[in-house]
Amino acid sequence: MITLAKVSKNYRIGEIMVQALVDVSLEAEQNEFLSIAGPSGSGKTTLLNLIGCIDRPDSGEIFIDWQAVSARNKKELALFRREKLGFVFQTFNLIPVLTAYENVSFVLSLLDIREPEIKARSMAMLREVGLEGKEDVLPGRLSGGQQQRVAIARALVKSPRIVLADEPTANLDSKTGEDILKLMERLNKKHNTMFIFSTHDPMVMDYAHRLVSLHDGRIVSDERRTK
Amino acid sequence: MKFLLRLAWKNLSRYRKRTIITAAALAVGLGAYIFMDSWILGIEKESERNLVWYETSSARALDDGYWEQKDRLPLKYTIDEPEAVLGWLAGKKIPAAPRTVFGGELIMHKDPFLEDGSLTLRVLAIDPVKDDTVFRLKETIEAGRYLEPGEEKILIGAWLAADLGAEVGYPLTVVTRTRDGYYQTIDVEIAGIFNCPNPAINKGTVFIPLDTADRYLEMNGAVTEINLRLPEREDADALAAALESDLAGVAPGLDVKSWRDLAEDYLAFAGMKKSASNIILILVFIIAAVGISNTMIMAINERTKELGMMRALGMKDSEIRLAFLLEAGGIGFIGAVMGVVLGVVLSYWIVSRGVDMGGLIGDMDIGYRVHGLFRGAWHPEAMVTAFIFGIVLTVLVSFLSTGRALRRGIADSLRYS
Ligand SMILES: Nc1ncnc2c1ncn2[C@@H]1O[C@H](COP(=O)(O)OP(=O)(O)OP(=O)(O)O)[C@@H](O)[C@H]1O
Ligand SMILES: [Mg+2]
Repeated sequence: MITLAKVSKNYRIGEIMVQALVDVSLEAEQNEFLSIAGPSGSGKTTLLNLIGCIDRPDSGEIFIDWQAVSARNKKELALFRREKLGFVFQTFNLIPVLTAYENVSFVLSLLDIREPEIKARSMAMLREVGLEGKEDVLPGRLSGGQQQRVAIARALVKSPRIVLADEPTANLDSKTGEDILKLMERLNKKHNTMFIFSTHDPMVMDYAHRLVSLHDGRIVSDERRTK
Repeated sequence: MKFLLRLAWKNLSRYRKRTIITAAALAVGLGAYIFMDSWILGIEKESERNLVWYETSSARALDDGYWEQKDRLPLKYTIDEPEAVLGWLAGKKIPAAPRTVFGGELIMHKDPFLEDGSLTLRVLAIDPVKDDTVFRLKETIEAGRYLEPGEEKILIGAWLAADLGAEVGYPLTVVTRTRDGYYQTIDVEIAGIFNCPNPAINKGTVFIPLDTADRYLEMNGAVTEINLRLPEREDADALAAALESDLAGVAPGLDVKSWRDLAEDYLAFAGMKKSASNIILILVFIIAAVGISNTMIMAINERTKELGMMRALGMKDSEIRLAFLLEAGGIGFIGAVMGVVLGVVLSYWIVSRGVDMGGLIGDMDIGYRVHGLFRGAWHPEAMVTAFIFGIVLTVLVSFLSTGRALRRGIADSLRYS
C-alpha cells in the first residue's frame, strides 16, 4: 500500500523554478498494475523516484505501508529498497562487467541469503523471463529486449513488494515491448507484486489496469480498467 | 563482501586498458622514486667512504685547543708526545697515523713549468710508513711513486698536476711558517702524482713526509693530529667518545673527533642536497598522484549512472565505497608491484654499472666526495615505502572521488549521462 499526500517537488535551474510535481495525491493497492502516463517533462520520473525513496519531496508526505518515508534516514531507506523494492530503468542499467546471472544474483547476495538458494532463485527467475541459456552472457552481448528481461529478473528475484519501472519499453521495438509488458503482467498476477510503470506510449497504457495521467506535474485523470 | 571483491576483480580485468595505464603511471612514479633514491644513497655512501678513506679517517685525536682554530691550520695546538698515544693505540690494536697539517704557498718557476706562479693550499705531512694503515692514498698513485721517510719530495693530485702542467721530477717550493712563526721555504721534487676518488683531496692538497716537515717547521716531534681507523664506521661517534675518555689517562688534553664531526661541512651540504632531491621526489609523487587522480575520477564519473543504480537497488554508501576502494586497491597493488620491479631493475643498473658523470661535470667540485662513476646503492626500505605509498595513494584518491560521487543524489546520478 502506497499513499502520496499532497506531494510537491520543484527543481531550480539557475533562476528558473520548475514545478516537477504539484500537490500529487495517490493511493496504490498491493496488487496493482498501474501505469503513470504523460508527455515528456510531465513529472513521471520524478514521481517514481519519490515513490522509490531515491529522492525526497519538497512538501507533502509519502507513506509506504502506512509508514512515513520522511521519518527514515538514508541508510534505513537503502535497506528498505534492498528488501522491498525492485527497479527497472529505461536504459536497463545493468552492470556491464557482470554476466546476466551475476546481474540478477547480486541483489540476493546483498540480502542474508545463502549461496545455494541464491543460485536456485536466480536461475529460476532467469528461466521465468525466458533467458535460459543466456546466464553467462555479458549484457553487451544481449539484445535490448534481453537486457530488459535481465533487469526485470533483477527487480523480481528478491520477491519485492513493489516494482517501479520508468519507461521500461521506451528503448525497445513495439513487439519486444509488448513481450516485456506481458511478462510483467504475468509476474504481477503470479507473485502479487505491485507494478508501477511510466510511459508515454498508448500501446503500453493499454496494458495498465489502472492509468494515472500526469500533466505539468499534476494528476489530470485516474481511471481503472477492467480486463 | 565476496560479491564486492568479485565486482572489483571483474572491473579491473574488464577495463584492462585503464587498469594498466593507471597502474603504469603509478609504476613509473614509484620506479623513478626508487631509482633516484638508490642513486642518491649510493653517492652518499661512496662519498662517506671516500671521506673516511682519503680525508677524515674514522676518527682523529687533536689537541683540545685545535678545533676552535681549525680553519687557520694552526701549529700552536699540537700533540707533543705522539709516541705515547701511538703506543697506547697500538696496544689496543687500533691502526693510527700521525699527521701535521699546515697552510703554505706552492711556488712554481718557469722552466720546467711554463711560467712562474704560486698558489695557496693545504700541505699534509704524513708518515709514509704508518699513513697507509689508516688512509688509502698510497693505492691511488698514478705516476711516479709514494713518499719515503726523510726525503724532500712531494705528492700532488692529478687535477692539480694537470692545471699546473706538472710532472714527476719537477721541482716545487713550499713557503710557510715554522711553529714559531718564522718564514721557511722547503724545496721539494714531485715524487708522485695521485688520482684519488675524493675530489676535495685531488684538487687542493699536497703531501710531504712527516719527518721532513718536522725538521723544517721545528716541530720537535709534535704533530697536529693522529688519525685512527676504527672497525665500524657506524659506531664512530660512540667509539670516539670512549677513546677520548680513555686517552685522558695517556695524554691529557686531547679531543677525539669522529668522522661525522670532521665532515660536518660535507654532512651539512649533503643534508641540503638531500632536501633538494626530496623536493624532486615529492614532485615525482605529485605528478603520479595527479595522473592517478585523473584516471580514477574519470573512471568513477563514467560510472555515475551505475553508481546511482547500485544505490537505488539498496547498496549502502559504505558498500559502494568499499567496492571502489577494492578496485583502486587492485590498481594500486598492480602499480606498486610494477613500480618496485621497475625500481629494482633501474637500481640494479645504477648499482652495478653506475653513470660516468666525468664528462658532464669534469673537474668541477660538486661537493660530493665522488667523481667519475656515480653508482647507486640498494635501499630496500625505500622499496617498501614506495610499495605502501602506491597502494595508499590510489586508495585515498578513490576514497575521495567516490565520496564526491556519493554526494550527488541518487536520482541525479541516474539522470547523469
Ligand atoms: N534534477 C533536475 N534538475 C532540474 N530539473 C529537473 C530535474 N529533474 C527533473 N527536472 C525537470 O522536472 C520536470 C519533470 O521531469 P521528469 O523527468 O520527472 O519528467 P518525465 O515525465 O519523466 O519526462 P521524460 O518523459 O522526459 O522522462 C521537467 O521539466 C524536468 O526538466
Ligand atoms: Mg522520465
